[in-house]
Amino acid sequence: MTLLKTDHITMRFGGLTAVKEFNLEINKGEIVALIGPNGAGKTTAFNMITGVYRPTEGQIFFNNQEITGLKSHDITKRGMARTFQNIRLFKELSVLDNVFIANHLHLKANLLQAVGGKMYPDFLDKLWQPKYKREEKEILEKSYMLLEKVGLLDQKDEKATSLPYGLQRKLEIARALATNPQLLLLDEPAAGMNPKETNDLTGFIRQIREDFDLTIFLIEHHMQVVMDISDRIYVLDYGITIAEGNPYEIQNNQRVVEAYLGVSEDA
Amino acid sequence: MKKRNIILTISCIALLALFIWYADGSFDSYQKRILNLCAIYVILGLSMNLINGFTGLFSLGHAGFMAVGAYTTALLTMTPESKAATFFLEPIAAPLANITMPFFMALLLGGLLSAFVAFLIGAPTLRLKGDYLAIATLGFSEIIRIIFTNTQNITNGPLGLKSIPNFTNLWWSFGTMIFTLVVMIALINSSYGKAFKAIREDEIAAESMGINLFQHKVMSFVIGAFFAGIGGGLLGNLLGAINPMMFRFILTFNVLLIIVLGGMGSVTGTVISAFVVTSGLEYLRVLDESINLGFIKFEGIAGLRMVVFSTLLMIVVIFFRNGLMGTKEFGWDKFFNFFNRRPFSKKGVGQ
Amino acid sequence: MTFDLFMQYLTNGISLGSLYALIAIGYTMVYGILRLINFAHGEIFTMSLYFAFYGVTVFSMPWYISFAVAILMTAALGMLVERAAYKPLRESPRITIMVSAIGASFFIQNLAIVLFGGRPKAFPNVRLLTGVMQIGAVSLQRLTLIIPVVTIILLYTLLFLVHKTKTGMAMRAVSKDHETARLMGVDVNRTITITFGIGSILAAIGGIMWGAKFPQIHPVMGVMPGLKCFIAAVVGGIGNITGAVIGGFILGVGEIMLIAFLPNLTGYRDAFAFVLLIVILLIKPTGIMGEKISEKV
Repeated sequence: MTLLKTDHITMRFGGLTAVKEFNLEINKGEIVALIGPNGAGKTTAFNMITGVYRPTEGQIFFNNQEITGLKSHDITKRGMARTFQNIRLFKELSVLDNVFIANHLHLKANLLQAVGGKMYPDFLDKLWQPKYKREEKEILEKSYMLLEKVGLLDQKDEKATSLPYGLQRKLEIARALATNPQLLLLDEPAAGMNPKETNDLTGFIRQIREDFDLTIFLIEHHMQVVMDISDRIYVLDYGITIAEGNPYEIQNNQRVVEAYLGVSEDA
Repeated sequence: MKKRNIILTISCIALLALFIWYADGSFDSYQKRILNLCAIYVILGLSMNLINGFTGLFSLGHAGFMAVGAYTTALLTMTPESKAATFFLEPIAAPLANITMPFFMALLLGGLLSAFVAFLIGAPTLRLKGDYLAIATLGFSEIIRIIFTNTQNITNGPLGLKSIPNFTNLWWSFGTMIFTLVVMIALINSSYGKAFKAIREDEIAAESMGINLFQHKVMSFVIGAFFAGIGGGLLGNLLGAINPMMFRFILTFNVLLIIVLGGMGSVTGTVISAFVVTSGLEYLRVLDESINLGFIKFEGIAGLRMVVFSTLLMIVVIFFRNGLMGTKEFGWDKFFNFFNRRPFSKKGVGQ
Repeated sequence: MTFDLFMQYLTNGISLGSLYALIAIGYTMVYGILRLINFAHGEIFTMSLYFAFYGVTVFSMPWYISFAVAILMTAALGMLVERAAYKPLRESPRITIMVSAIGASFFIQNLAIVLFGGRPKAFPNVRLLTGVMQIGAVSLQRLTLIIPVVTIILLYTLLFLVHKTKTGMAMRAVSKDHETARLMGVDVNRTITITFGIGSILAAIGGIMWGAKFPQIHPVMGVMPGLKCFIAAVVGGIGNITGAVIGGFILGVGEIMLIAFLPNLTGYRDAFAFVLLIVILLIKPTGIMGEKISEKV
């Protein structure tokens, strides 16, 4: 079953075409990678899909519904979550709050119920518990579960920026998972990780796919990770899709090799 | 809330009530006025801190919201006779002339009207960012003031309103202050408040986590304006006379001063700073007035007070960037942890 | 309305617009280079009038010397404000710098009240500028023509400076990216200081002509023109010098025409600028000549 489909999406910034007529199809349960040299337009493609940019041309479908031009909060609500290449955590907030906040979109209590619930004393809970407090308890339990999953439960009260780089990436993933996504987009999850963390990453991504029944779309420069993990790979170069296929096909594709290494004169 | 904390909080409020009871009976009117002003500035500071400090929207429209609240409350509490006497240039518009309602209702309506105005202003301006938002909200605040200067038969124009009944007393101002404090603390610790903070930290990430930016910004802006309107209403009925010149940008600046000194994003800081700044500004009035010590006479210099205060603000901004408290808060749990922690235990200093 | 009367209003609008334009340039240059609303700019404008006033009245200098000294002192003040209030905060969040800017503005305003007293003073009358001349049926103060001419000359001088000289190149580089400009050997702090100096000189020239046209000075007189001229800069496209001048003209002419054609709205004269601001921000937030800046994700 197709989960995400893009139909000839194009992004132009003034005279520059960052991505041209990109066609993508991701099936449920797959792990798909998007690779290409620096400046190929990978993050731009991510930004179009997640609603940060509105594509100049083309359409995007998620779960067979058109999502082109929707705001990113709306797209997240429909079951798509992402991480960022340059890590965008809520820096001054605690690790726990970072994950807690990502549950907010599913909160049913309205503003008044939330404020009222917060003022309600704990020792009266036995008589009657406000709706918000019940919800908050569920959110906290879920947040603890997610933090445990990524191994950050012990650091839950620390400031997000106090974590080492590799853990900040994991916190970003936990935060994205808290929105209950069907599709998770990871923008260079291995960037800045040390070799051991990189090795663990492949297993970790597979693990969360199993645990949360996810489909994963990722941008990555670390070829070992990409070849190890992906079911299929798309290759972008100067905004144009130059190849598509399974890891074996991509490794042996002449155009891909040229794009990465440059064309030699006598080839 | 935990039982222990509730008991402690309630005892503190009881102590405060005892103090107000004492102050109400024994303080002179000047001291009472300062205390009232302090409480009102706590309300104003908290409301601005919600918008600027917790949600990270740089709004400079506070004076406008206060004006809406102050005028509404004043017009709804003045007696028909005093209205007739005040509006001698042009009679007051018909439906307003005879309405008089209890202070509580008037105050609430003042807050609601101010919130409504904020909703109307927020719809277009909250799509703007940073400096643009600041200047647009400042613009709206000025427009409100100019409208109030020109609608003679509603606001009495530049002459303003006089003989507003002095309903604001220590009970009203401190009662509203406690109410505002409780609501604000509940709000910022709730999921909505956390969403506000997320917007402050990183708008793009917040939106990607499913937070509807515009909706939440409007929420914060409207709640802030509601309390600003109530603060304005209390202020008008404390002073007994208001006019459009009171609601110039300098009023917004005073509140901004309080939240910057106290710490943007700290409720505790705002409360302390509102008391320090307000009483400081009042006591420093001596700088502007002449002092006669009998044998020697100091000439007061008008404006010196504000020179001292702007210098203070600059020093804090430049050398203590996070203000008094930064984004830190006082809490009972922290208070007890502070006394319980042992120097050599694992979880102690620096956690 | 007769044609002559209309022309009278139009020339008045243009000369007021020219004054707005001169002050707006200061805002736009500072914003372009520091991304900061220099809230103290209106107060710098006020101070230029006091400098000129004291030069003529207390130190009994001839008006042209007094004005020249006032312009130089204003430039020095502008640079001093930058050093004291903005330079220490270069790496701070924008909100902090803006609070500092507002603080600096109130500081100068109240210092002016302390030093010069709150009562209005009469700006010295210079016959050469204020004399009346007759063009057809229209009688005009000489100033009404002098002001736009001076503004246009200054605009072209400034455009030459920014686009053709080394200092101008440094300014443009710093406005794009401080760090890169520094790596390319541009003295960033010096360039910023010069920008404040130039902005203040223009505010001073505008201020002195303002004083000649509306000869009453008081310590808070700069607040309204300051706000309006920032609006002019936004309307024209902040960061763009020509835009600031266009914005100034639109604001000046619009304001005068509002009074001319809708006299019962005279009380709303000061609201005109703010309404224009909000309309522009909603239709084209980058202003008439501005470029779009988007955040990198």
